[in-house]
Amino acid sequence: MIEQAVADARERLVWRARREGLATLGYDVLDSPLGPLWVAVGPAGVAALHYGDEPTASDLARLVRAHGPGLVPDPRRASGLARELEEYFAGKRRAFAVAADLSGLTPFQRRILGATARVPYGELTTYATVARRAGNERASRAAGGALGANPIAIVVPCHRVVASDGSLGGYAGGLPAKRRLLALERAGEVPQGGWQPSRMRG
Amino acid sequence: MVRSASVPLHGGRSVRAGTPAPCATSRISHRRILARSTLRTVSTGALTFGELIERHEREIFVYALRLVGSRDGADDLYQETFLAAFRAWPPPRRGAERAWLYKIATNKAIDRARRDRRLVPLAELRLAAPERDGVTLADLAASIRTLPPGQRAAFVLHKVEGRPYREVAAALGCSEEAARSRVAEAMKKVKEATR
Repeated sequence: MIEQAVADARERLVWRARREGLATLGYDVLDSPLGPLWVAVGPAGVAALHYGDEPTASDLARLVRAHGPGLVPDPRRASGLARELEEYFAGKRRAFAVAADLSGLTPFQRRILGATARVPYGELTTYATVARRAGNERASRAAGGALGANPIAIVVPCHRVVASDGSLGGYAGGLPAKRRLLALERAGEVPQGGWQPSRMRG
Repeated sequence: MVRSASVPLHGGRSVRAGTPAPCATSRISHRRILARSTLRTVSTGALTFGELIERHEREIFVYALRLVGSRDGADDLYQETFLAAFRAWPPPRRGAERAWLYKIATNKAIDRARRDRRLVPLAELRLAAPERDGVTLADLAASIRTLPPGQRAAFVLHKVEGRPYREVAAALGCSEEAARSRVAEAMKKVKEATR
């Protein structure tokens, strides 16, 4: 009974804080086929999507830097994203309508993530290609770093970026998750160990 | 095709798809955010409203319930307390957020009582607090109904919630001496009323 009373009070509080402009971002923990996802949504779109039930300390610091302390638990605000993710995992959605809000990131990170966001559903690219499209051909290692710290997984599809030798590279959600997303998008075609180098040219 | 036979779902609804979907289950559900904070701030120093809510909302709601006695009133006091905290952000001192919230809640309760010029009956006090000393909370509720707001807050904090005088003083914004005398004064009145 007390839990319900507190939950009701919290819902009203979040609504009022949002109306007053005090609550800038709403977060929620979603259960997904890849385990829990911590998501944060603001007026400019999805500000964070992390594997696990909490953000990384550095990304939380970034959110507070960019959006202030008004980060509140708000399942309603995350529900649009939740619906799109459900469609995506069901194979019924190929692109996300919600925008990715990259504020608080460095210009380099924004360029890398912006280039990654343009990789179409089901297609693959390499860290070197992403670096080139972001305007710095020789920064493929730095591109890997920026993608490893991608604060908006899945929506910014860093899982579509693999190493130049065709191996899967890394993934913040773990390689099984990356493999699983690629299998979903490419109708099951993920060779053990990645792709042959010849497939990755061009 | 990579497909895991069973997908661990953490606390959320596990829904088996009627037709084979690309993933074994695609269901996205909202997980209930637990009382423990999902936000780690120790290492970042970046305290957020959400962390304050998740850490302290329950005890503040219970305290509000004990002060105002009705669920609706407690809901209002909870709202006023947290909204005032957000407007006054940041908290005065790191690690003192709890005492800060209690102080805000106490002041808001006193303001409300003065504004309403009456004290709300504590009909639902039974909901939150255990029985003590053979005096039922219903008895207690009836007797502390008549206490002035400052004494009532002091009494609830010390005698019902078991907080030390130091915390009572912090919540009321007075000295420990004054907190002691308020509790003593309240105690005298409650004893007279329950005799």
